[in-house]
Amino acid sequence: MGFLRRTYGTRLLRRRTVGAGPAGRVIMVLSGLRQPIVLILLLIAFFSAISGKPLDGLLMLLVAAGLAWDAGRRSREAQDQSSATKAGPAGDQSPAMPPARRRRAVLAVTWLAGGALYAAVVGSFSRYSWPATAGVVVLGAIVVLIGWSGPLRPRPDPGRLPLPGTALWGGLLVAAGLWELGALLEQPGLTVSSAAHPTISTLTDPLLGSHGGRTVALAVWLLVGWLLVER
Amino acid sequence: MISSHDVTILGYLLVLLAGLLLEFLATRTRARIPALGDVLTRVMRTRTGRVGVLVAWAWLGLPFFAR
Repeated sequence: MGFLRRTYGTRLLRRRTVGAGPAGRVIMVLSGLRQPIVLILLLIAFFSAISGKPLDGLLMLLVAAGLAWDAGRRSREAQDQSSATKAGPAGDQSPAMPPARRRRAVLAVTWLAGGALYAAVVGSFSRYSWPATAGVVVLGAIVVLIGWSGPLRPRPDPGRLPLPGTALWGGLLVAAGLWELGALLEQPGLTVSSAAHPTISTLTDPLLGSHGGRTVALAVWLLVGWLLVER
Repeated sequence: MISSHDVTILGYLLVLLAGLLLEFLATRTRARIPALGDVLTRVMRTRTGRVGVLVAWAWLGLPFFAR
C-alpha cells in the first residue's frame, strides 16, 4: 500500500513538474534552446526556407523543435531528480544499449541488401522529383529516429579531446560552411545557380545527371549514414 | 587568368585538403589532434549531438536529390 502511494506520488510529482500544461511545454522548449545544436538547426531551417527549399526548412524546424523539447524535458527531469533525491547531476547521456551481435549482423545484412536496392531504385528517379524527395526524406527521418532512441551499441569513450586539435576540426567545418554560404550568396539569386560561384550541389550536377552517378552518390550517402548511426 | 569559378573551386579543394591533412596528422603522427571519428564519437555521446550529426547527414542528402 505504501509502495503504491509512493509510486502514485512520484508519478504525480513528475506530471506536475515536467512540462505541466501548455505554458510548461513552452518553457521546456525555450529552455532547450540553450543547446547550440538547436540554434544551428534553426539557422539551417531559416536559410533553407529562404533559398527555395521550404520542405528542408520545415523538416529542420521540426527536428529543432523536437530536440529543444526533449533537451528541455531532460533538463527539467534532472533538476527534479536532483532536488528530490540530492542525487548527482543527470546529463544528456542516453543509456548505452547492451552489445547485441545478432542485432548488428541483421542490421548489417539489411543495410547492405536494402542499401544497394535503395540506391539503385531511388537513383533511377530524376533529381528533385517527388519519388526522389520521398526516398531521401523518409530514409533520413528513419535514421534520425533511430539515432534519437540511442546508440545502437556502446562505444568506448574517447575521453576528453585536446581542445586545440578539436577546435581545428570545428574551424574547418565553419570554414567549409562559410565558403559554401559565400558561393550561395554570390549567385544571381538564392534559387539560381551560378557558374562563376558554384555551390557544391551545382558542382555535382554533371555527376548526378545520370542514373549511375545518382546510384553511386546515394550509396556513398548511405554508407556515411551507416557509419554515423553505428557510433 | 584565374576566374571566380576557379577561386571558388580552389576554396573547396583547400577545405578538403585541410581535412585530409588533419586526419593524417591525427592518425599518423603524435600531434595532439583527435581523429575525425573520435570527434564524432565524442559529439554523438549526447542525444542532442547524436541527433544533430544525423540531421546534418540527412540534410546533406536533401539539396542533391529532394525538391
